[in-house]
Amino acid sequence: MIEIVQATAVIEANSLCVNIKNNSILKSLNFRVEAGEIYALLGGNGAGKSTTLKTLLGFNAPSSGSVKVDGKEVINALNHVREKTAYLPESATLYTHLTARENVKYFLSLADIQKSDDEIDQAFDRVALQRNARDRHMQTYSKGMRQKTAIALALLREAPIFLLDEPTSGLDPVAIDEFNQLVRELASGGATILMVTHDVYGACQVADRIGLLRDGELVGEFSAPQNGQIETEQVHAAFAQRGAA
Amino acid sequence: MSYMFKQLSREWRFMLRQKYLLVLLGCAILISGFSVQSGLNEVAQQQQTIERLKAADVADRTDTQNKQDEIGMLAYYTFHLTYSPPSDLAFAALGERDIYPWKHRIKMLAIEGQIYESDTQNAELTQAGKIDFLFVISALSPLIVILLFHDLFANERSSGRHDLLVTTAKSPWALWGARGAIRFISLFLCLMLPFYVGAWVSGTSLVAVGLVSLCCFMYLAFWAILSVYWGKNANSGPKVASGLIGIWVLFAFITPILGDLAINKFVHSPKGGDIMLTQREAVNDAWDLPKEATMDAFTATYPEWKDHVAMQSMFEWKWYYAFQQVGDQIAAPISQEYRAASQKKYELAGYASLLSPPLLLQRVLTRLAETDAVAAHKYEQQVRAFHKTLRLYYYPFLFAQGEFDKGNLANLPSFDKFINKQHGVSDTDSAQTTNK
Repeated sequence: MIEIVQATAVIEANSLCVNIKNNSILKSLNFRVEAGEIYALLGGNGAGKSTTLKTLLGFNAPSSGSVKVDGKEVINALNHVREKTAYLPESATLYTHLTARENVKYFLSLADIQKSDDEIDQAFDRVALQRNARDRHMQTYSKGMRQKTAIALALLREAPIFLLDEPTSGLDPVAIDEFNQLVRELASGGATILMVTHDVYGACQVADRIGLLRDGELVGEFSAPQNGQIETEQVHAAFAQRGAA
Repeated sequence: MSYMFKQLSREWRFMLRQKYLLVLLGCAILISGFSVQSGLNEVAQQQQTIERLKAADVADRTDTQNKQDEIGMLAYYTFHLTYSPPSDLAFAALGERDIYPWKHRIKMLAIEGQIYESDTQNAELTQAGKIDFLFVISALSPLIVILLFHDLFANERSSGRHDLLVTTAKSPWALWGARGAIRFISLFLCLMLPFYVGAWVSGTSLVAVGLVSLCCFMYLAFWAILSVYWGKNANSGPKVASGLIGIWVLFAFITPILGDLAINKFVHSPKGGDIMLTQREAVNDAWDLPKEATMDAFTATYPEWKDHVAMQSMFEWKWYYAFQQVGDQIAAPISQEYRAASQKKYELAGYASLLSPPLLLQRVLTRLAETDAVAAHKYEQQVRAFHKTLRLYYYPFLFAQGEFDKGNLANLPSFDKFINKQHGVSDTDSAQTTNK
């Protein structure tokens, strides 16, 4: 059962429907993410995870229903929503002819944010990007290193809301642990985090709540117990039972 | 540092790191520089030719005047150089100066044949044209614009950066606006800098430079906006480029060619050679006609000489020049038809140019540079009008005054003085000139 809590939500979808090229991708989707919460939207391929993220970022307009970020209708407050949001794409392909540092500086400049080299290095340290790689062209980077650079960029933006698209995809187990630790730190600092993923185990490790998405609808929600983790077996069973392949 | 300057500065530094963009811009400045240099050389060559011919013209005329004493012989052997000097903007748009003659050596004989004598020459050679600044801007620069702008969005989408860029940028202007503006300004400067140097060397007026800059700016902006619009939702750069190149081919080649074919199909024009032939046949036939027939036709145009047409011998110069005049009168209708057809073609080409931006730019710039068909026809009319002043100078000596004093040669019309006095001859004026 989906429990509707009448508290202030940082991210909120109410009866959200999105049609793309006459295909109904999201069908009356309802979910809320509270401040400081880590929420994982879990679903298989074609469940509507990426469409949900794109709608939250204003790339898709709802065909009905509403989607709010920071209390504002996304479609009516795009600049505000994007300013408050740090987005981490699944495949963070930054500019390969620039170094990681140059990439970060370029993107920060786009957001009109000034950061010193020291601050950038601190962000790189937090994501454990090797020092000798930071001033190297990114064409030599592995997928994990590119992902770390993008995470560092998201950190440097100091946005209160993080939208993460398959954030641990391509990371090695150590990096995944480090990333999960980082996400928890962010949330404990007040950041609201919505991640979409098909990784049941990863979602259970880090999320406070998990929403199970199937064919554009939320078909179940799981909450972590106080000071504990959501049980992977329970989520996995629901994921498999409900046919979210 | 203002917000806008910060965005432009960032995108400028970003562009400097993209080698393929720098290569494209380098190509643009090289091609533009070559075309301006080529135009300057061509104009310098034309100016040198005019100066050389002017000196030779004076020497030749002085020599003839020293050798000949009789007025008819003087009129027959004295040549006069007429010319249309290139404007100070001609280096940028050589226009029709490849096709229409811009210099003649004329004498007191029938003028129509002399004007159109060169119309039968070099038709194939002139087809190739020359690579001038106008060609680079109108025909080649759209390709560079397409290459610079076609993947503005598609490249970011196909690389997976688009959404991150858009959600990170403070505003669309900060990203796409600044990036597009830097590319556009860089290309504009690369293409225009050689032109500005050429304009400075040629002493082109600031107004002309400003107008050319404005036209080129609008033209390049058209292609940039089209490229951005065409590719704004695309994921594949090559597909966008293919579509845009198709549009370029349509505007730069297919539309002008179809327009030209349609105009030539619907507007029939005699050839310059037909005018020359008509006039020469009339002159040749006059030898066998009764002299009264020639003189009557002559005095119909110049009634002031009707009391001086009686002849004392089988050959007199006044009869000879009268049938030259009549030759022009007979050729006048076909000559006017030729000019009317040219004017009609020019008008219709104007409508066709509304369907083809490259053609429109060519039309506007050649007008500004006075190297178009209008300027060529204006020069022809100047030649006719000048020739008329020669007739008005010689006729009194041929028909009325008998003995000719060489001291009168000081009053012989010269084309230099004539064009200084007469800037611009209207079609109406010149049509009357031809009939006379």
